[in-house]
Amino acid sequence: MKKENKSLWSKIVPNTWLILIVLFFYLPIIYVVIFSFNSTKSLNHFTGFSLMWYEKMFNDRKMLEPIYYTVLVAVIATVVSTIIGTITSIGLSKQKKIVRELVLQVNDLPVMNPDIVTAIGLMLFFISLNIETSIFTLLIAHITFCIPFVVLSIMPKLRTLDDNVAEAALDLGATPFQALTKVIIPQIMPAIFSGALIAFSMSFDDFVISFFTTGTGVSNISIFVYSMSKRINPSINALSSLIVAVVTTVLVVANVIPMIKARRPQVEVVKKKSKLSYIPYLAGALALAIFLVSFGNKTTGDFDPIAEFGSNTLNLFNYGEFIGEDVIADFEDMYNVKVNYDTFASNEEMYTKLMSGTSYDIIIASDYMIQKLIKDSLLQPLDKDMLTNLTDLYPDALKYMEFDPEMVYAVPYMWGTVGIIYDETLIDSEDVETLGWDVFKLEKYRGMVYFYDSERDSFMVALKALGYSMNTKNEQELLEAYNWLIEMDNAVDPAYVTDEIIDGIINGEKALGYVYSGDATYMIYENENLRFYEPHQGTNVWMDCMFIPKVARSPELANFFINYMLSYDVSYANSEYVGYTSPNEEVLIALSSEDGEYYGIDAYVPRVGFEKDETFVNDDYIRKIISEYWVKVKLN
Amino acid sequence: MRKLIEFRNIVKSFDNQVVLKGINLNVYENEFVTLLGPSGCGKSTLLRILGGFLQQDEGTIIFDGQCIDDVPAYKREINTVFQRYALFPHLDVFDNIAFGLRIKKVAEDVIDQKVTRMLSLVNLEGYEHRNVTLLSGGQQQRVAIARALVNEPEVLLLDEPLGALDLKLRQEMQRELKRIQQEVGITFIYVTHDQEEALTMSDKIVVMRDGEIQQIGTPLEIYNEPANEYVAKFIGESNIIEGVMVEDYKVKFDDKIFDCEDFGFKENEPVDVLIRPEDIKIVGRTGALMKGEVKSVLFKGVHYEIIVETISGASKTVTMHILSEHDTYNAAENEKISANDFFVDLEDVNALDDFNLVARANAQAWDDEENNLSIASITHSIENKVGTYDCTFKTQKNTEITIKVHVVAPVYVEDAKKNIGISAFDFFVTADEVKESMAISTDLKTWASAEAWNLQDDSEIEITDVKFDFDTADIEEGSYEITFATQGREYKIETTTVHEEGDKVGLKFDRNDIHVMSKMVV
Amino acid sequence: MKSFRNMTYPYIVWLALFVVAPMLMIVFYAFTNAGNDMLVFKFTLENFTRFFQDPDFLRVLYTSLKIAFITTVICVLIGYPTAYVIAKQDENKQAVYILLLTLPMWINMLVRTYAWKGILMNFNISSEFKVFVGMVYNFLPYMIIQIYTSLAKMDKNLLDASYDLGANKMQTFLRVVLPLSIPGVISGITLVFLPAVSSFFIPKLLGGGDYVLIGNLIETYFITTGDWNFGSAISLIMAIIIIVSMYFTKKIDKRIGEE
Repeated sequence: MKKENKSLWSKIVPNTWLILIVLFFYLPIIYVVIFSFNSTKSLNHFTGFSLMWYEKMFNDRKMLEPIYYTVLVAVIATVVSTIIGTITSIGLSKQKKIVRELVLQVNDLPVMNPDIVTAIGLMLFFISLNIETSIFTLLIAHITFCIPFVVLSIMPKLRTLDDNVAEAALDLGATPFQALTKVIIPQIMPAIFSGALIAFSMSFDDFVISFFTTGTGVSNISIFVYSMSKRINPSINALSSLIVAVVTTVLVVANVIPMIKARRPQVEVVKKKSKLSYIPYLAGALALAIFLVSFGNKTTGDFDPIAEFGSNTLNLFNYGEFIGEDVIADFEDMYNVKVNYDTFASNEEMYTKLMSGTSYDIIIASDYMIQKLIKDSLLQPLDKDMLTNLTDLYPDALKYMEFDPEMVYAVPYMWGTVGIIYDETLIDSEDVETLGWDVFKLEKYRGMVYFYDSERDSFMVALKALGYSMNTKNEQELLEAYNWLIEMDNAVDPAYVTDEIIDGIINGEKALGYVYSGDATYMIYENENLRFYEPHQGTNVWMDCMFIPKVARSPELANFFINYMLSYDVSYANSEYVGYTSPNEEVLIALSSEDGEYYGIDAYVPRVGFEKDETFVNDDYIRKIISEYWVKVKLN
Repeated sequence: MRKLIEFRNIVKSFDNQVVLKGINLNVYENEFVTLLGPSGCGKSTLLRILGGFLQQDEGTIIFDGQCIDDVPAYKREINTVFQRYALFPHLDVFDNIAFGLRIKKVAEDVIDQKVTRMLSLVNLEGYEHRNVTLLSGGQQQRVAIARALVNEPEVLLLDEPLGALDLKLRQEMQRELKRIQQEVGITFIYVTHDQEEALTMSDKIVVMRDGEIQQIGTPLEIYNEPANEYVAKFIGESNIIEGVMVEDYKVKFDDKIFDCEDFGFKENEPVDVLIRPEDIKIVGRTGALMKGEVKSVLFKGVHYEIIVETISGASKTVTMHILSEHDTYNAAENEKISANDFFVDLEDVNALDDFNLVARANAQAWDDEENNLSIASITHSIENKVGTYDCTFKTQKNTEITIKVHVVAPVYVEDAKKNIGISAFDFFVTADEVKESMAISTDLKTWASAEAWNLQDDSEIEITDVKFDFDTADIEEGSYEITFATQGREYKIETTTVHEEGDKVGLKFDRNDIHVMSKMVV
Repeated sequence: MKSFRNMTYPYIVWLALFVVAPMLMIVFYAFTNAGNDMLVFKFTLENFTRFFQDPDFLRVLYTSLKIAFITTVICVLIGYPTAYVIAKQDENKQAVYILLLTLPMWINMLVRTYAWKGILMNFNISSEFKVFVGMVYNFLPYMIIQIYTSLAKMDKNLLDASYDLGANKMQTFLRVVLPLSIPGVISGITLVFLPAVSSFFIPKLLGGGDYVLIGNLIETYFITTGDWNFGSAISLIMAIIIIVSMYFTKKIDKRIGEE
């Protein structure tokens, strides 16, 4: 009896442990799958069953493209790196020791180096050689970090090989090439295969290196997910669930079937197992890629963009989630154009990407950044003759186009202010309206506050609170602003986030923060307890504009697209979907009128003409100072 | 001598396969016991059960008067030298040997002393801090022995400890092990499949087969009086002949009755007769007990091993027809094709598939550069009755040749006394084919479709002898006789005098060299 | 056989172009201060002195190393028993468990981390704890697989030998199994510690904006601030720390192997 008890325990404890570990691994996956069926955008409240996110995903070709690119890049990188890695390994095994050791040492570098270092090195390398980033640079980067894993997987196996075997093959009349393909490679096949598998999974899952080395219109799943951080789109859950389903099916087919077959006493099957087991992986991956390729190039109609504008592809670079739902697809279908749509999370990220040699035809970014780009002569003038829809602009808003008043280089896309957003059930309206920005120093709201993780906006808040200009060049004033931020940090201990403010406050995670008026519009639309207040100390009025960089390949098509974007219908669709204020007066009036989507939401109609409001002026020197200060505020 | 270990009816099975079928065995103090048998006979399993690494399904082990069935391995006063030594790669020589003592928390200075003594016992002084993975096989072996012995066990188990060593080292270690056993004076239980090792070292040998003990005895007993054919074959070289015990002291084999010293069998009981090769003497034909012909002579260093055939096997003679060249040349395609007529047994016609046809006819095709071409199509009219039929072979480019296939009624020789059937057919080949043959006997067998079989159970019997008297190097057109024969009664003899192959000799042995064994129960 | 040597050269060229040259670019940027203009540059140590003289940056470095260290320790503590238990199962089950553990790795890391963010939103826990959950979750499989491999390939005779010499299960584990699995643990440590030090996505997403690790700092200086020289200097510092620590781990590993 005693013995049985003991063995029972010694079974229960480990098995329970294993079950817990497996649960831990599957928890987020189960979570993703469950929330892909959620009926609202919320990521932590399941409100009801719905297939809307799947519908959205399958209707949006842009959502499936990343899977296509991920698989395509992974397959090519795997095949190329496996071939190079195998050839190199075999060569190395016959090399002089000193050469072998040296190559293996250098080969270790990409493995040991942090991803971000490899990524930055490659980025700097491509920039300095003026190589424009594209799918080829992405492939080069992937192959570069995949080969070392293949080599590391094959070399140990090669060491165990009997040297005489290859010599025996030569003795029997095989050419060196035959000795290689018929004798050496079959023996190291399992190692080659496991190397290929590692390469595939590394490439498949890579984010950092891809992020820094990819070009226009080529985003893998990681980059796509990352750029969606502006506003979480639960379609990503649907997308992930789809990947879960495909990967699970492939792995189950690849692993369980040989296992079941092996159980039957069929010697042949067992023998073949090692050879066959990788075929389903590759077949599955390729099938998926081919399936997705079919989403890639669809053309309809008979408009000939090449004849009209000399190009049929347009590279567009925009903030994430900052364009109407079908605007691009409609344009593509109407004019037979392929639009490569890439997104960024901040103006600075856009700038880095532009500087790293990626060529875009149209970029949508903010005032001060445009000022910088104009100053650096990186933009080209717009073709005003083509911009026939450049009418009906709201004159009060146009006053803030100080960086390009004649609209030589840029035309407005969206505009607005920055203001305080708060939940009036939790935050006293009187506090907000009397204190303005200083409400962020009220200790009683400790733990309830979000603060934008952006040095520019934070210093704007602090400087305005102190009554200074947000474009001050006075370093003493900047120091005061820094101290204001430190005091704020000490008083309310805010969470420093970017666009999580939006969903966070809608879902009631926190109750107080400051946002762009456009985001406030959306937030109030989603949660009626929220209020927006533009502080009496003044605030930032910003203009997001469309412009064409000098490196653009299809400037004519770009002008044509800008004109399309300026049309009443498209402006309406964009503003309605995004919630940001349109510079088109008619659209603004329509959307804020009684029949409009944003009727009664004051954030949709930003304050104009207030003397303390300003737009940003770019100053690289000041920006360096405040970014240093900002790192320190966060480290406080 | 004190009885130290008693196995009582040990039964063990793995996955429904019974590995030990009720083993009973006593081991005494200071004995060197060897468990001998081929792999899979259960000897290692028995050892592992004694070591405590496996649990028997049935039966009991008594150790020193105590039942140890429930004593875990680490509490048994038994140590093991493992098959591939199982030295701990993360510990050096000293720490490996000290492992057991440290577990027992022996004081370090005592450990020092004991390990040093062990190292000198196994002749490894100065190797204390060597990396065990870098030692030679023999040195690792010694470390493994020292590691086990330092714990002063009552019994040392050795599981094929010399298996991985080369011959010279193995012999050296055999002496070494025996010396160590005598020096430390404890019981060694030794597992091996090497009969020479068993004979050299053991006090007692236990011969095992399929989970059963066949015989227990001293090396001399086992060698001279093996209990059955199995033991006899396993131990030493031997001639084992089927015979009949006519009456006590009279055994009949090879059609003759011999006097012997064995008794106690039933009248006319079938038995196995053993005569060791060194007990047979080659004498002149007169006065010999048997007469025969020397079939092979092998020099073995101190002696010759000579095979003498006393009774020849079943045989069949056929005619080989050497034909002139008969290639067909296809000038248009620059290809050649050749094939030979052949005879086939009526019974085998059904088995004539394309592959067989090509092989029987020796059909070959080649281009002007002597590259072999494959036969692309075969058409024939062969029917399942006696007669002569056409058969045409074609290449891809329609180069063709037609041959005759002779279907004949089965003709085979039956040797009822030896219980053997043998058949072979006349055949046609070209002189070149004979000249180019690299293994003429094998080719002749193929060409003639020579085969032999056991009349009772139809099992195949090897044709060992192909006799012909032509020179393959310069054979010409014509007919030649070839005789195929199975192996006859052969005796293996060890002698120091030289004989030539083909010598006609007589054989002689003493009546006490004949050892009669009961037939084995299969 | 010598003709096979030529097969090495294409990759040597590749390495020189895409591994060595980019590293040299980082070194170049780290020691200059001319911004992104490569034509007017000046060699300087300023980027390094700026880093090492600023307690805030040093604290980021310290925190990164601390987080990576604790993550690694947690991974060993959870990973070892897991690998051990798996290695004790019968062979078919072992394969199933390893498959179960590797399958989630095929789901994009960012997606899994986003999912954790959603899950952890429901709990009121510190951002540091959230970062640990994310890190351990992402890196634990590597640890388990490394340790499992070293346990699974261990000669089972060694365990019998240990029992035979009088060691019970606990003693056998401590004196034989554990020391022999150390190489697996060490390679697991490198596979966890290395990416954990430089990870920037997990802390950014789970820790919030004020949870700055060295990876985030590099990202900030490259993407937000645009100060590529300083960013390169930080990258170089991190690369050197990691390569040096890898070198020592390899040495330790080798020494253990030799013992």
